[in-house]
Amino acid sequence: MFTCKQVSRILHNEDYAKLSPLKRFFLNLHIKLCIVCGKFNKQVIEGQDMCCNYKKHEEAGLSHQTGMDPARKEALKKLLSEQSSDSDPRGT
Amino acid sequence: MTIAPKVQITPPEKWVELYGDYLYGFAMSRLRDPDAASDCVQDTFLAGIKALERFDGSRDIKFWLRGIMRNKIVDQIRKSIKENKVDIDSEDEALLESFWFRFSGIATTNPEPWQFNPRKHYDNSEFWIVFRECIDSVKDPARQAFILRVLEDMSTEEVCKIMEITPNYLWVLLHRAREQLKVLLEAKWTGSDAD
Repeated sequence: MFTCKQVSRILHNEDYAKLSPLKRFFLNLHIKLCIVCGKFNKQVIEGQDMCCNYKKHEEAGLSHQTGMDPARKEALKKLLSEQSSDSDPRGT
Repeated sequence: MTIAPKVQITPPEKWVELYGDYLYGFAMSRLRDPDAASDCVQDTFLAGIKALERFDGSRDIKFWLRGIMRNKIVDQIRKSIKENKVDIDSEDEALLESFWFRFSGIATTNPEPWQFNPRKHYDNSEFWIVFRECIDSVKDPARQAFILRVLEDMSTEEVCKIMEITPNYLWVLLHRAREQLKVLLEAKWTGSDAD
């Protein structure tokens, strides 16, 4: 069984979802029963879960609203064309 | 001898069109500055061209470029922290010295409950747009700690090294970030600031 400090330290260093099933079981047990750290650490786990879901949306590009400035885009396209032809090992 | 990659890859000339806005969105969410974000995209693409021979095609090139961008973002944050050193304020110091933190590693035994259940909105893409706006409004250095540790998934040791802080203070900063995010989300999603 973990102490409150151990539970807090584990959640500080790792995501609950990434812990081993056994560790998750004992950690969850502690949080459910503990009147000291239960409410706080439950919110920490919920926060981790929310961030994990946000990252999935972010990875899929769903949360990005703004695009790059068109002029900057054109300049960058030109730069990449020059750079990629310079570094093309086949010289094409 | 130069070895050409064996897999079909998108030519760099097309990267801006295909991945420019995607990477810019990431950079903006981390750096909050359009010029810095555009520079970050440019540096990522140029580093990508240089490293292209090492791309093995095991994943989408978009995610490979995103991996390169991660290092660029961390460099930018590191630079910003070097210019504005992270100082511990008296309120944070008091939290670190508090009984509950020393005894059980928590800030309070009775945190404010959520005013709504965020889980119910996970399928709503609008919610994540608001969430992203809320991250932008979190104050530095809590925001920087949150980005490095949570969004960029760096270890506690790595973040402490970059921010030149102790693991305990990182804990306080992450707590502050979570606290602010909760307040901001409640206001923007259900409260007075909601549309």
